[in-house]
Amino acid sequence: MSALASLGNAFVAVCTPGSLLLMAAGVFVGIIFGSIPGLSASMAVALFLPLTFSMTPSMGMNTLVAVYIGGISGGLISAILLKMPGTASSIATTFDGYPMAQKGEAIKALGYGIVFSFLGSVFSFIILTFCAPMLADIALKFTPAENFGICFFALTMVAILSSGSMLKGLLSGMLGLMFCLIGMAPIDGTARFTFGSTQLMAGFDTLPTLIGIFAISEILITAEQVVKGDVKPMEIKKTKGFGFTWKEFTYQIPNFIRSSLIGTGIGILPGIGGSTSGMLAYVTAKNMSKHPEEFGKGCPDGIVATESANNATIGGAMIPLLVLGIPGDGVTAMMLGGFLIHGLSAGPLLFVKNADVVYGIFAACMICSLMMLIIEFGGIHLFVQLLKIPKHILMPLILVLCCVGAYATNNRIFDVQSIILFGAVGYLFHKFKMPTTPFVLCFLIGEMLETYLRRGLMQYKTFGAFFKRPIFDAFFFIAIAVLVWSMFKEYKAYRAKKAQ
Amino acid sequence: MFFKKYGDIVVGVFFMLLSAVVMLMATQLPKSAVMAIGPDFMPMVIGAVTFLLAALLTFLNVKNFKMHLEEAEAAADSIEECNYKKVLSSFVLTVVYVMILQPVGFIISTIVYLPLQMLILAPTDKRKPLPLVILAVIFTLVVFFLFRYGFKIVLPAGIFTINL
Repeated sequence: MSALASLGNAFVAVCTPGSLLLMAAGVFVGIIFGSIPGLSASMAVALFLPLTFSMTPSMGMNTLVAVYIGGISGGLISAILLKMPGTASSIATTFDGYPMAQKGEAIKALGYGIVFSFLGSVFSFIILTFCAPMLADIALKFTPAENFGICFFALTMVAILSSGSMLKGLLSGMLGLMFCLIGMAPIDGTARFTFGSTQLMAGFDTLPTLIGIFAISEILITAEQVVKGDVKPMEIKKTKGFGFTWKEFTYQIPNFIRSSLIGTGIGILPGIGGSTSGMLAYVTAKNMSKHPEEFGKGCPDGIVATESANNATIGGAMIPLLVLGIPGDGVTAMMLGGFLIHGLSAGPLLFVKNADVVYGIFAACMICSLMMLIIEFGGIHLFVQLLKIPKHILMPLILVLCCVGAYATNNRIFDVQSIILFGAVGYLFHKFKMPTTPFVLCFLIGEMLETYLRRGLMQYKTFGAFFKRPIFDAFFFIAIAVLVWSMFKEYKAYRAKKAQ
Repeated sequence: MFFKKYGDIVVGVFFMLLSAVVMLMATQLPKSAVMAIGPDFMPMVIGAVTFLLAALLTFLNVKNFKMHLEEAEAAADSIEECNYKKVLSSFVLTVVYVMILQPVGFIISTIVYLPLQMLILAPTDKRKPLPLVILAVIFTLVVFFLFRYGFKIVLPAGIFTINL
């Protein structure tokens, strides 16, 4: 019960007007950064880091947590309303969120996204509070072999994502992998496919790629539809509250629990991150669903799965950070910096020496999630006003923000230029009816896949030795089974179509 | 119409060529001296798998070309008109914008780019340049100063090097 008692004390300590106000401000700024394509949660945390210098350690850390939570959740707003994911974590939110908005159900879609973001984060924080040390032990057992297994597993999800036109989906994924190859090879740093350009040495950054594929291509698609007053603003159905009924809510609970578990699990493993977890949860939900054909056409299940999972990743990612001092992604790396600035060393001793800070963070996480719920709920009706702005005005403004965001990622103009390239790729994909999702998923995972494979081979010498690791086996053989099963289904569908 | 009829074949052939190039370039990469797989391994695997998939796609589409043709013709009535002139001009404009962003600077290039792009995207009955220009100027300045002072991100100043 000591965890509960410490948590109770922490709640009391956190609930001072000053720190509540700071956290509210953090969540608010986080949401803004999250919702603008191009500005990311890690950028917001980096921005807030210097501001926490003068604060007490626990207050400073709580503010950073607030920004992080707001930043991950904010992405859903632009994902649903504009079909542009604000952050990489909310890519899969666009698949069903935007079709729902097109049907006039923007408020309902936002409602689902916001509520399940909240529940997803709370779910993971409960796990974080009570099982952190135990889970960290398991995460330590993960060697490159296991990580390779997970990446491989995630890659085979491409096959499911693209059912219906599997070959084109797989090709799209392969193109994503090819773009990953550009730049320095992992481990040995050999320059590959750089064509002598020094800019290409570092490869394409994730954020500009995503902006290009999703935002720039969207602008070109808008241009395509300009035929004399054709670009109409979307209608918005009026709804009360979050827009869904209690029955609809309870229907989503199994989906929510499954997705949150996926999110937390992925979060614990260093280096995989929220974007992958959202996508994995989406695919799993589609696979488990009784009506998979509705996914992608405005099915709330898709939003619920993604948003629960990507927010649950936050709690998961904090586990290795707090318990082992290993940051799982860019944002947590920045938070580790925050710890150091305040003279705290994250790691096993943190729980012993600075238990008040740790439980303060747990308490802050929960309070911030609640704030996020309140702020976003209050904003729903404000956000949907975005849809009333005529597209010919909104799209160029967004393009400029995208360019600014791409520039701000690394402070180099090359990233801005690369979004145009990816915009063209995205537009051509649209014309040739190629799915973009496999491309993005593969692009995100490609480099990890190669790094872990080669690191694993360094450790175990042969690939055969990977199979002595049971966790790797599980992931690998499930992945193979998934692949074979989806190919079989695709073949059956092909035969049925031909027989007609 | 073109995309519906030949789209998949074009995709297949393109990917076959692309993967051939990737494989060719992969053979030029150095082999690793210390371990079984070097930097050339992944490109080779990806190239080979892509080639197989692309060949299969092309083969299936050529084989079932008639079936696809019928489908495409059946769907022909519902095809929307696409305004490729606008797509191309938007694309060119954006490319120019991105290219001049660094040398000319964020403020000037954005103030010029925004109204032009808005005019291209605007339906014919809604082309009023003046409000768009005013909007562009306000938006550009707000973004520039917000990033400069709020977020401490200095956007390219270009020829407009002022120490604000």
